Amino acid sequence: MREVYVAGIGITSFTRLEYPLIEIAAYPALMALRDSSLDKIDHLYVANMGAGRLNHQTGLASAVVDNLSLTPAGADGIENGPASGASAIKQGFLAVASGMHDVVMVIGAEKMREVNNLEATEFVATLTHPLAEYIYGVTLPSLAGMFTRLYMEKYGVTSRHLAMVAVKNHANAMLNPFAHLHEPITIEGILDSPEAATNNPFVADPLRFFDCCPVSDGAACLILTSAEVARKCGRPMVRLAGVGQATDTHAVHDRKDPTELLAVREAARQSFAMAKLKPTDVNVAELHDAFTILEIAESEEVGFFPKGQGHIALEKGLTKLGGQLPINTSGGLKAKGHPVGATGVGQAHEIVQQLRGEADKRQVKNAKIGFTCNFGGFGNNVVCLTFVREN
Amino acid sequence: MEMNIYAYKCKKCGHVQYPYRTICRNCHKNEHNEFDIVPLPKSGKLLTYTNLYTLPPDFEVVTLGLGIVELEDGNKITGQLNIDKPKIGMKVKGKVEVVRRDEYNEYMGMIFYPA
Amino acid sequence: MAIDLEKILRPIDSPIPEFPPKLMTLAGGEEMVIRQVGREEIPDLLPHVAPLMHVERDFYNIVASRVYAELLGFYTHRVQDEYVLVAQIDGELAAIVNGRRVSAEVGMSYHTLALRRGLRVGAHAFAAKMEYHIDILKQKEVLIVAESPIGFRRWMIEYKLEKRFDIPHELGGVPSWALTSELYDKARSSLVVGRRPVPEHLLAKAKAGITAPSDPPTPPIDLLAATRSLGDSTATALIEQRNKLGGS
Ligand SMILES: CC(C)(COP(=O)(O)OP(=O)(O)OC[C@H]1O[C@@H](n2cnc3c(N)ncnc32)[C@H](O)[C@@H]1OP(=O)(O)O)[C@@H](O)C(=O)NCCC(=O)NCCS
Ligand SMILES: [Zn+2]
Repeated sequence: MREVYVAGIGITSFTRLEYPLIEIAAYPALMALRDSSLDKIDHLYVANMGAGRLNHQTGLASAVVDNLSLTPAGADGIENGPASGASAIKQGFLAVASGMHDVVMVIGAEKMREVNNLEATEFVATLTHPLAEYIYGVTLPSLAGMFTRLYMEKYGVTSRHLAMVAVKNHANAMLNPFAHLHEPITIEGILDSPEAATNNPFVADPLRFFDCCPVSDGAACLILTSAEVARKCGRPMVRLAGVGQATDTHAVHDRKDPTELLAVREAARQSFAMAKLKPTDVNVAELHDAFTILEIAESEEVGFFPKGQGHIALEKGLTKLGGQLPINTSGGLKAKGHPVGATGVGQAHEIVQQLRGEADKRQVKNAKIGFTCNFGGFGNNVVCLTFVREN
Repeated sequence: MEMNIYAYKCKKCGHVQYPYRTICRNCHKNEHNEFDIVPLPKSGKLLTYTNLYTLPPDFEVVTLGLGIVELEDGNKITGQLNIDKPKIGMKVKGKVEVVRRDEYNEYMGMIFYPA
Repeated sequence: MAIDLEKILRPIDSPIPEFPPKLMTLAGGEEMVIRQVGREEIPDLLPHVAPLMHVERDFYNIVASRVYAELLGFYTHRVQDEYVLVAQIDGELAAIVNGRRVSAEVGMSYHTLALRRGLRVGAHAFAAKMEYHIDILKQKEVLIVAESPIGFRRWMIEYKLEKRFDIPHELGGVPSWALTSELYDKARSSLVVGRRPVPEHLLAKAKAGITAPSDPPTPPIDLLAATRSLGDSTATALIEQRNKLGGS
């Protein structure tokens, strides 16, 4: 296999974007083309989860490739739930690594705010098991709520730990101009003040409002190329060194121990193995914190901390900016936002910025190795990527 | 007639799975429909639960109790809870009732009560 | 002669107790004061409401337009027994809620306009309004409607409001919902929040002047407004675009 590099990146704000989905997808592509000084591509992958249902738009990849005047390049749409973004990056990786293409553009784009939040979460809930989960009213927040309760019982994680994740990620998002939420929050305000229960009501207990990601629009783009093309583009050389993907049972109850995220564990293992690196080598990571508990659980499953110790690492401040292994410097899904199909590409965008040294106020010093975990379904389809800065 | 939720028992290896899969998760024998349909037991213990406050728009209640129950035969199932103060580990008993309605259909599923 | 006509037009407000100011801590740790304002402060509110009339999202346009009219109605004595509460963070306007006393027993909730998003300011302000009707005016029930689906979810379903569909609500004549004092008592723990008395310096700061919201909802950027207005019989897209090009 050939080595694969990130030659260009682009992103929109993750917020509410009031222009058409096709243009939401096109804007970061334009930024990435400028970033890489390329004007032609061999192939386009567009990750998206809800266009057909939310935006009355199917065949998004064909629409976007034309909007960018990149025809006759091939174009495919990728739908893999909230892991669509990293899945598309994986396809792009394979296309370049195999030697089939030299320049592949990967876009993740989503416009969820077309509908109200309740309809948006209902739409995401269609990824649950239709007969064993969906009909009961199960939504992603409810699966996360049940997961959290069990996790608390088993490992001593408390609401305070969850709030610490939220406060940390909101603080990081303050430094990210592209983040959805620019509200600094405090433990006092969401947990301890007499008004905390109104400020931070239950969504799916024990999870509260500030434990959940918001519903966002947004798009991000990565251009993946061979080493030769990447060198010509002249941007700092960031290699996509490891790709791993694994699945788990569709229905969450069907897992032997529902607190174990086996797909995360396996996807991370594969990704590190391909990159010939260890979890302890990582300098900066973006984990899929659609719910605060997931940042803690994933930080254990990918191998950063032993199982049941993620919340201790958090307590010690290891995962803060300036800590030993900063997690979700972008603000994470929690505060940067979660346009489902775009999220995986957005995570990679943050890591590439970090490894290039272009993350401005959120820059992790000397970051050379970065990692992303994009979590689809409730952990039933997970893609992990490892990036390495060279030269 | 008492209603049940059905599980699928593999004719090759006897493994009982819920929900349905085309291929048995235990022995992976690739023959089609080699299952006996067996009712799931209704008693079990509550493994975990939540109270959901942001319900899908078609629900007309304020909150909805949801939980995962480990049934007597070791199988697990997701269901709605009709329990005032749920506790992890408590004994529960299920009934098959209407769990969701849309304009034309009623969907039946398991609702758990304190045992 | 003119003066006599004004006498006929102007309703005589019933004497009602004032809303005692209260204080709450928000998610970000800021302190928010909710207090009642009199007619003299209405001119300070209007300029912050006006721009929202052109924010075509989350029903801000219709809510702001109606609130503007209601505030003006209050100011010029054209609404009977109206009251207005404001929420301020460090002087800055965060929310406006208003309503009316229909009778000794019944209140009519008008609007909840949040000028700061994301901190659940609206929920606090709405709760204060309910407290005013039930605990302070000692009314039996408050009639409510929602103009947005999210509002509907939040008020009608969250508080299990009772149907009063035989009573047309003053906002558009649509069927009313009622928060009764019994429902209010049940939801007390989540509805009645905030502390009293408000420390002197915070109240003084709030009363010193209502300052502009620092991050109010703004009209969406609509690059295609002109094109879209072709198929838009109300032409609001174009009007809005003109506002924006005018540099507002
Ligand atoms: C938590 C949740 C219920 C809140 O919804 P809501 O109460 O309707 O929120 P509102 O629309 O009233 O939000 C108002 C403001 O609050 C803020 N906000 C919304 N959700 C927020 C959250 N989770 N945390 C912090 N602030 C939030 C935003 O600033 C928003 O303003 P915007 O509309 O300009 O973006 C909703 O965001 C949700 O369901 N999230 C989970 C989504 C999900 O399941 N995604 C898939 C996971 S894989
Ligand atoms: Zn078998």
